[in-house]
Amino acid sequence: MTGATRMAGANDPRRRPSRRGRAAWLGLLPLLLFTLAFELLPILMLVRSSLVTDAGFGLGNFGRALTPTMLSAFANSIKLSLVTAAAGVGFGGIVAYAIVTTRSVMVQHALTALADVTANFGGAPLAFAFIITLGSTGVVTLLLQAIGIDLYPGFRIYSVAGLAIAYVYFQLPLLILLVIPALLGLEREWREAATSLGATSTQYWLRVALPILAPSLLGSFLLLFANAFGAYATAWTLTGPDINLITVQIAALVRGEVQLDPALADALALLSIAIMAICVAGYHFLTGRVRRLAS
Amino acid sequence: MKQGPAWRAVVIALFLVFMIVPVIATALFSVSTRWDRTIWPEGLTLAWWVKVMGRSAFQDTLLNSLAVALATVAVSLVLVTPTAYWVHLRVPRARPWIELLAILPFGLPGVVLALGLIRLYSSVPLPLINTANILVAAYVVLTLPFMYRSVMNALEAIDVRTLSEAAQSLGAGTWRTLLSVIVPNILPGVVNGSLLVFSTVFAEFTLANLLIGTRFKTFPIYLVEFTRFDARQASALAVISFLFAWVISIAVLYFAGRGGYRREPVGGR
Repeated sequence: MTGATRMAGANDPRRRPSRRGRAAWLGLLPLLLFTLAFELLPILMLVRSSLVTDAGFGLGNFGRALTPTMLSAFANSIKLSLVTAAAGVGFGGIVAYAIVTTRSVMVQHALTALADVTANFGGAPLAFAFIITLGSTGVVTLLLQAIGIDLYPGFRIYSVAGLAIAYVYFQLPLLILLVIPALLGLEREWREAATSLGATSTQYWLRVALPILAPSLLGSFLLLFANAFGAYATAWTLTGPDINLITVQIAALVRGEVQLDPALADALALLSIAIMAICVAGYHFLTGRVRRLAS
Repeated sequence: MKQGPAWRAVVIALFLVFMIVPVIATALFSVSTRWDRTIWPEGLTLAWWVKVMGRSAFQDTLLNSLAVALATVAVSLVLVTPTAYWVHLRVPRARPWIELLAILPFGLPGVVLALGLIRLYSSVPLPLINTANILVAAYVVLTLPFMYRSVMNALEAIDVRTLSEAAQSLGAGTWRTLLSVIVPNILPGVVNGSLLVFSTVFAEFTLANLLIGTRFKTFPIYLVEFTRFDARQASALAVISFLFAWVISIAVLYFAGRGGYRREPVGGR
């Protein structure tokens, strides 16, 4: 085929033969086959086996999977994700606002770069850094001891509370990165208009700024929630198998440490996918809406 | 309420302390003779660094991680770049579906992906389970969002259609057009995606631990093993991981400023 006929085909969609249009889909085959094999089929396999019970298809496995231990694992994971996502949105929002309103452009860039770098920390090295910092003989623990504040035994880094602090370490910078664009979208004129109409600062925030920021903040909250909910490496390094989180439970099942009917493990996995998927879809929906409103 | 600079300085200072102290503490701990009784290290030494870097397992696991990360980047590039180009130019109707496939890993916890892969392939007579192959495949899926978005964002920023038509009117075939015309134009995006994939894979623990565990040790697995029995040497390993993450993040920032894509989280922490 010559270049000229290719061009004619590409230029005019009406004249493009539909057979070529359909043949073009074949170009997607490598990626589709790969994702089928290593992304979709593994999920579908879990869906199928979690739905197959002795009595045919049904939700029985889900009911049986939710033993008191697993229910408390879900409860712990949800609590940890809620608390660290809320802390991320709360503190992160304030820090992001401080960054955005800083007059020095250099400070702004440096802090954004710091958030960028630290949002990528996580997993084993981060957990270990927190053991060094806040463990029973940790650096900050010793420092606080010297000024008369005893963290231990009231606090333990190897607990849910300790884990929450380590999670906030990666939640905070992530939120800052997610929210800065929305904060930059707040026009100075809106504040001036509100003020000139007699609004107080509190009224401006409650009636103008927060409603505008709400989709972005809520979407980011959902993404942070999913981020914490799916986390495993940090929890494993910090607390080992002692902590009852749903990812730790699933990992124990994968390694065969706990003997359990495979269908039950798959039901647990599917429940966590459902929770994560709702959060990620919510994030994309909310932030997509923000983008549409802005354009 | 007047927003003076005072509250801003306090907020930023607290943020800096929280983000920097754990890293500094770990770095200082790795060069301390002893630091568990006094508020300041009792002495400084490079002994732990020398000791840990002299171990053959250190070099082996570092090389394993490099190999897996490079293999993942290579597979991802070959798989994603031509597909993204093809979707953009020829099959725009497929776009929402490909996008969905690329977003899906965000909602997939690492432990769940590992469980699904083991369920699916444990009884299949292919060289997959318990080999580095399955790990690379899983990593390509895990990092698909980074590579896809980086490449797609870069493609959206250039006029793909005009460039392709110009190349083809000069007689270039599809592959030639992609490699000699399109790729040079989207290089920052491609490099950005590759760096994100590389750094994610290099630091990944969950899938490595669950899919092959001790049979093929990666650097993060080695690090976690060390945290259980030698904190000082483990702290040197942690500092190495931090440095890796830093260097790559700074490179990503540089390329992201040139039309790339910033990271979003993915279930690998």
